[in-house]
Amino acid sequence: MDELQELTQDFLVEAFEMIEQLDQDLVELEARPDDLDLLNGIFRVAHTIKGSSSFLNFDVLTHLTHHMEDVLNLARKGEITIDQAIMDVVLESIDMMKALLVKIRDTGNDQDHGMDIEGIVTKLDAVSKGEDPEAAEAPAAQAPAESKPASTPAPENPLADEPEVDYSKMSDDEVEAEIERLLKVRQEEDKRRREEKIAAGESVPEPPKPPAEPKPAAEAKPEPAAQAPKAQEAPKPAAPKPAPKPAAKPAAKPAAKAAPAEMNVVEQTIRVDVNRLDHLMNLIGELVLGKNRLLKIYDDVEERYEGEQFLEELNQVVSSVSMVTTDLQTAVMKTRMLAIGKVFNKFPRMIRDLARELGKKIELKISGEETELDKSIVEVIGDPLVHIIRNSADHGVESTEDRIAAGKGETGIVNLKAYNEGNSIVIEIADDGKGLDADVLKSKALEKGVISEKEADAMSDKEAFALIFRAGFSTAAKVTNVSGRGVGMDVVKTNIEKLNGIIEVDSELGKGTVIKLKIPLTLAIIQSLMVGAQEEFYAIPLSSVLETVRISEEEIFSVEGRSVMRLRDEVLPLVKLSDIFGVEQVIEGGEHTYVVVLGLAESKLGLIVDTLVGQEEIVIKSLGEYLQGIEGVAGATIRGDGRVTLIVDVAALMQMAKKTKAPVTQQKQRKSKAKSEPSDYKILVVDDSKTDRTIMRQSISPLGVTLIEASDGVEALNIIKSGEHEFDACLIDIEMPRMDGYSLASEIRKYSRFKALPLIAVTSRTSKTDRMRGVEVGMTEYITKPYSPEYLMNVVKRNINFNMEMSA
Amino acid sequence: MSEQLQQVLQNQQQQKEKQDKPDKEEGIVQLVCFMVDEEEFAVPILSIQEIIKPIETTRVPSTPDYVVGVFNLRGTVIPLIDLRLKFSREKSAYNDDTRFIVIKNKNQRSGFVIDKLTEAIRLKESDIGSAPESLGEEDNHIYGVGQREDRIVSILRIESILKRTF
Repeated sequence: MDELQELTQDFLVEAFEMIEQLDQDLVELEARPDDLDLLNGIFRVAHTIKGSSSFLNFDVLTHLTHHMEDVLNLARKGEITIDQAIMDVVLESIDMMKALLVKIRDTGNDQDHGMDIEGIVTKLDAVSKGEDPEAAEAPAAQAPAESKPASTPAPENPLADEPEVDYSKMSDDEVEAEIERLLKVRQEEDKRRREEKIAAGESVPEPPKPPAEPKPAAEAKPEPAAQAPKAQEAPKPAAPKPAPKPAAKPAAKPAAKAAPAEMNVVEQTIRVDVNRLDHLMNLIGELVLGKNRLLKIYDDVEERYEGEQFLEELNQVVSSVSMVTTDLQTAVMKTRMLAIGKVFNKFPRMIRDLARELGKKIELKISGEETELDKSIVEVIGDPLVHIIRNSADHGVESTEDRIAAGKGETGIVNLKAYNEGNSIVIEIADDGKGLDADVLKSKALEKGVISEKEADAMSDKEAFALIFRAGFSTAAKVTNVSGRGVGMDVVKTNIEKLNGIIEVDSELGKGTVIKLKIPLTLAIIQSLMVGAQEEFYAIPLSSVLETVRISEEEIFSVEGRSVMRLRDEVLPLVKLSDIFGVEQVIEGGEHTYVVVLGLAESKLGLIVDTLVGQEEIVIKSLGEYLQGIEGVAGATIRGDGRVTLIVDVAALMQMAKKTKAPVTQQKQRKSKAKSEPSDYKILVVDDSKTDRTIMRQSISPLGVTLIEASDGVEALNIIKSGEHEFDACLIDIEMPRMDGYSLASEIRKYSRFKALPLIAVTSRTSKTDRMRGVEVGMTEYITKPYSPEYLMNVVKRNINFNMEMSA
Repeated sequence: MSEQLQQVLQNQQQQKEKQDKPDKEEGIVQLVCFMVDEEEFAVPILSIQEIIKPIETTRVPSTPDYVVGVFNLRGTVIPLIDLRLKFSREKSAYNDDTRFIVIKNKNQRSGFVIDKLTEAIRLKESDIGSAPESLGEEDNHIYGVGQREDRIVSILRIESILKRTF
């Protein structure tokens, strides 16, 4: 029984794919009713589904498709011409077929569906008899009696009469024998039936095609001349079926025999479980992280061993590994790619139906359907497109009279276009309809309470256009069946946001509207902009970054307690990344600050960051169950140095920004306590040599100040940063392991609260360049070893403003 | 809680009954003991994935202070919880004895900061007493109290400390 289920699965996958193709073909057929290739293709689909479904005992479906086949066969032979009335019947029957297939998918059979098959069958019959299909509707009740003998399941499927045999209990030989026997039965039956049909003057249809066609989804491109590829696929699946699937084999063999002439090119595709691809993608993700790490390490090594021989070799290895990894990543990503045509296919039919329903003339022009997108994105993108295209057809394109009055062509044109742009794909839906009226939109939004009057005044036209994506907003004067119920366009927004996509609306009154959806190519490995907020780093998906600008503080204005800036002709709300994520303020910003302009769906936000690190390729990782759903964090990634960096959830960030009202300008610093005892003064001594530290300690000890020791730069920096001690000065040796004195000084100077902390270099390096370097990194004094204890003491005293009597 | 408690009591009862004919292999749990502040805690050895020395962590915003952040354990991002802060003790800096214990339960994994590892012990179920009756948050995490010759250890309830409460 499992085999049968598997077969049914394969059948369904195949059938749905074919139907997608069918819709497209049928609409084209209406335009070119005498295109024989097209007709043949359509006929073949109906025929294949009939064959497979009869084989799987879906009687109702078989019954229906059989009658469709009759009509199409007549059209194919030129005995009837497909006009609109006939097309309506055919389309209706295809809808019915779809409904049945869905039913089969959900329940596993096509019985008890509660659908009226006979009505449509009667209509089809009427068409094939040359009658008016509408007139045939009345005698629908008599239909079952009329159905031709060929449509009854038994002769269609000779194997159906076979008693159920438990194959699992048979030996291999027995199974083989059984297969042979069944095969013979089947072939004889086929032969007999073909002869019968020839005798009856019918054209001989091919024997039923096997259901398990390994046809990749990506192949489902709209191809009017579908004849050749279809024929090649037919004989394929027979080979890999193992013996215990007796049902599949007998069916496949006759098919293979029937179509050998057309089998000159074998299609090189296999179906792969998506989970396997996902797993592969995860592994590649790990590899990409490893590559990033390798690059980082190479940089470090290069710095340390400049000019050495082995560096060149290492360089070659690193770059080849990195190149292969990138190629591998692209290759695996490509396996997950589907042509967007898969989604586009259903729209011609939709527009056709819409146009008839609305009484308008609309033409849908599709281009770029071969553009490829990640499977997971293709799945989500369908719904938003349906809404946008409906909207264009309903609200965008005017009625025929209006169009003529406006001096436009009678037929409204909706252009659906997909193309690549950098690391994103752009889907553009353009209509040549009446366009959006910014003022009408604003007043409507005001009326519905979507925006306040102040907001309306400040709105640019573009912002006003974006209003159509707000929840509870509809501009249709009358609510139609099609759109205007106030849901729909906000679904577009939510779905596009989910994909980190951007929506752009552009419109000219009377000329038309263009809606652009910009969507990242893939979701698992993305390009990001690394930014710094104080000492923390965050990754922003590059697809949400529009641009980065550097502004001075004077360019930040305050409006109603919120910070904004002017960016060309727009007013951009500003928010500080460190405010949103509650990052402790330790580094003082300069006069200038960086603003990352974020765009998501239709809204924009300026994000103030302290540093821009650069563009980096990152692999998105989950934060785990424990930290799931933290506001503003979309996930984490591991960077080249092995550290974890959080990925900003731009959609959530925009919500959070609305709540953050704090002005973005700097706050005051804390004050240090007054000193009353000499021991209140604290000095940090940094030197890797214990002896040197002791010498310094002895030299300063007469002052009675407190001394803290550190043996290298890293340790010293940690002590200073911990805030445990408030230091009044630091004595720093230059030559130290892990972090030298220069680096330490420049690290310390990064913190605003240590800007004025006296840093005294104590070193045996005496050259002028060393002194210069000391000044550059922010050393206050430069003492060369050896020194007299008095000299050191005096320098320290001077620097810490020591104004007490010496205690000893 | 009360159900768990009852079970513990029941187990105890059973253990007592069995004491006449002691079975050495039965009812033994292996625990790893560690210090948090001045108190000794323990977790079942089988719930521990690994114990590592402190490594760098990344702070996660909008979390309670006891969530130190996340760290990278060979390519997996794992949250880190400071048990001192979780149990409302005073924060202290890491020292040479500080360890991260990575605990797993089903698919969930979390790291916990502890002050010091003490020892791994084998404890008879009969030596595990019920948790003290009190209302503190800390005590909800305690499954039972293990009695050693000279001291007692609080055995942590894994599901409870791995549960997100914010």
